[in-house]
Amino acid sequence: MKSLLEVQDISFRYPGSLILDKVSLCINPGEVVCLLGPNGCGKTTLLDCILGWLKPCEGQIFLNSNDLSAMSARQIARFLAYVPQNHEKTFPYLVRDIVLMGRASFLGPLDRPGAEDVAIAEKALEMVGMSHLKNRPYTQLSGGEGQLVMVARALAQNSPLIVMDEPTAHLDFKHELIILETIVELIKKTGLSVLMATHIPNHCYYFENKGILTRVALLKNQRIMAAGRPSEVLTEENLGQLYNIKTRVINCCLEEDGQIKQVVPICTIDGRALN
Amino acid sequence: MRITKKAWLFLLFILVPLLIMLLSLLVGRYPVDINTALHVLWCRITMQPCQVADFYQTVVWDIRMPRIILGALVGGCLAISGAAFQGLFRNPLVSSGILGVSSGAGFGAALAIILFNQVAATYTFAFAFGVLAVVLSYLIGKVYNTTPTIMLVLGGVIVSSVFSALISLLKYLADPLNELPAIVFWLMGSLASARYRDILIAGIPMLIGTLGLIAVRWRINILSMGDREAHSLGINTTINKGLVIACATLATAGAVCVSGIIGWVGLVIPHIGRMLVGNDNKILIPVSFSLGASFLIIVDDLGRILTGAEIPLGILTALVGGPFFVYLLKKTKGGGW
Repeated sequence: MKSLLEVQDISFRYPGSLILDKVSLCINPGEVVCLLGPNGCGKTTLLDCILGWLKPCEGQIFLNSNDLSAMSARQIARFLAYVPQNHEKTFPYLVRDIVLMGRASFLGPLDRPGAEDVAIAEKALEMVGMSHLKNRPYTQLSGGEGQLVMVARALAQNSPLIVMDEPTAHLDFKHELIILETIVELIKKTGLSVLMATHIPNHCYYFENKGILTRVALLKNQRIMAAGRPSEVLTEENLGQLYNIKTRVINCCLEEDGQIKQVVPICTIDGRALN
Repeated sequence: MRITKKAWLFLLFILVPLLIMLLSLLVGRYPVDINTALHVLWCRITMQPCQVADFYQTVVWDIRMPRIILGALVGGCLAISGAAFQGLFRNPLVSSGILGVSSGAGFGAALAIILFNQVAATYTFAFAFGVLAVVLSYLIGKVYNTTPTIMLVLGGVIVSSVFSALISLLKYLADPLNELPAIVFWLMGSLASARYRDILIAGIPMLIGTLGLIAVRWRINILSMGDREAHSLGINTTINKGLVIACATLATAGAVCVSGIIGWVGLVIPHIGRMLVGNDNKILIPVSFSLGASFLIIVDDLGRILTGAEIPLGILTALVGGPFFVYLLKKTKGGGW
C-alpha cells in the first residue's frame, strides 16, 4: 500500500541545538498515528516540518510520493489540513467564516468563496455537529466548541490527512471525549487519516479499543524511540523509559465495549528531576 | 434573501457617500442651492455652456468639487489600509500608519518645505519618504527570509520614532516665520489646497492600492489567522503579506502626501465597520472605504462651516469621531469582542 505521508530520516536544528535526529515516520490511508513524547522532545517541530512550515536540514518528506520541499503551500494544503494546538483568536469572525477559510487552497488569489464552498463548509460543520453555531462569533465559543470548529475548518480542506497538535489540550473530560469520538466517526465514515500529537497515552488505546487502525510513535531525545501498535509499544517498560515514570497497563472487560486497555500512571521514578 | 440583503448593503454603502458628496457641494461660506449645484455639474460633465453665474461655477466646480473628491479618496484610503493592516497584523489597535508611512511622509514634507517650498516638491517628497519608511520597516522586520508579524510591527515602531525625531529636528531648524508654520499646518492635515491636478497625481497610487486591497480582501481573513495557520490553509504568506503591505502603503502614501497627517480615520473607521457589518474582510474592506470617505467629507464640511477660519482636519477627525464611536459602541455592544 502506498503511504500518504512518508518522513525519511529528517533532522532539524536551530543554531546550536539539534531538535530532530534522523526521524522517520509513515502514515497509511485510514490510519491514526499518535505521536507521543515528553515536553520539548520535538513533536511540534516534527509537525511543522510535515506541514512544510519548517525545512528539515537533512532527509526528505514525501506526501503521496511527492517531494514536500518542492510543493507550494497550496499543494500541501490540498493534501493535509492542520488543527493547531493554540489557536489565537484575534477578531470575532463568525463560525461559518472560519470554516470557509478551509477552502483557501481551492481558490485563486483574487477569488472569494462561492456557493459551492459555502455548501462544503456547512457540511463540514454538520459533520462535527456544530451547524447550530454557524452564525455565532467564534470568540464566544467554549474551548471544546472552538476546537470542533477548527476540525470543521480542516474538513473543509477536503484533504486525505489531518494533522492535529494536541487537539484535546485544556479540555474537560466530556469535551475531550467529544473530540475523540468525532475523530473516530470521521475516520470510519470518510476513510480519513490522522496524525495527532498528544500527551495522553490513553488516546492511542482509545483509538485501538474503537477498532481503528492505530499506530503510535514515541519520540524521545530527538529520535523515535519505538513505533508500532499501541498494545505492542505502549508497554510499562517503554512508558517508563519515555517519561521516567512508573505506570501500569491494565486490561479490563466492559459489558458493552468488550476488552479495553488503559494506562494508569503510578509515580515518578527519578525523584521528580526534570530531564 | 441573502442576495437581496447583500444587494441592499452594496447600494447603501455606495449611495450614501455619493449623497454626502452631493450635499457637501452646497455647504460652506457661500451657500449654493441644490438646483444650481446640479445644473453646474450637469453642464460641466456634458461640456455644455452654463447659464449659472461664473462665481457659483467656480465655487461648485473648481473649489468644492476637487476638495470633496479628494476628501472621499483620502478618507477611504486611510480607512481601507487601516482595516487591511489590522487584519494582517492580527491586532485591532493597528492603524494605517503602523509601518511608519505617516511619519516618513511628514518628514519628507517638512524637508521639502525647508528645501524648496513648492507644492509639487512637497507631494513628491512626502510620498517618497512615506514609501521609504515602509520599505525600511519591512527590511528591519525581515529575519531569516520570513517576516514575522511582530518583527514588522517592531520595525514600524522604530522607523516611526526615528522619523518623528527627524521631524522635530527639522522643526527646530526651520525658519520660525514661514517654514515652521507651514510644517506644523501640514502635519495637522488639510484638504484646503485641493485641486483637480492633485486628484490626478495622488489618485493613481490611491486607486491602485485600493483596488489591490479590494481584490485580495478575502485573503486578509486567512492572513489574520497567523503565519503558520495561513500557510497550512494553503497561502504563501510572504507573497500575500508583501502584496497587502504594498497596496496599503500605496493607498496611504498617496493620501497622506496630499492631505497631510490625518489621524484617527485609519484606526477607528475600520472598527465602526466591524460593528456595522462584522469582521469578515470580504465585506469589511469595501465598507471601510465607504465609511472613511463619508466620514472625512463630513468632517471636512464641518471644518469649513463651523468657524470663519478653517479648523485643521487632523484635529476635527478625533473631536467628531470620538463621541460617534462611543455612541456606536454602546449601541452595538461592541460586536462580539
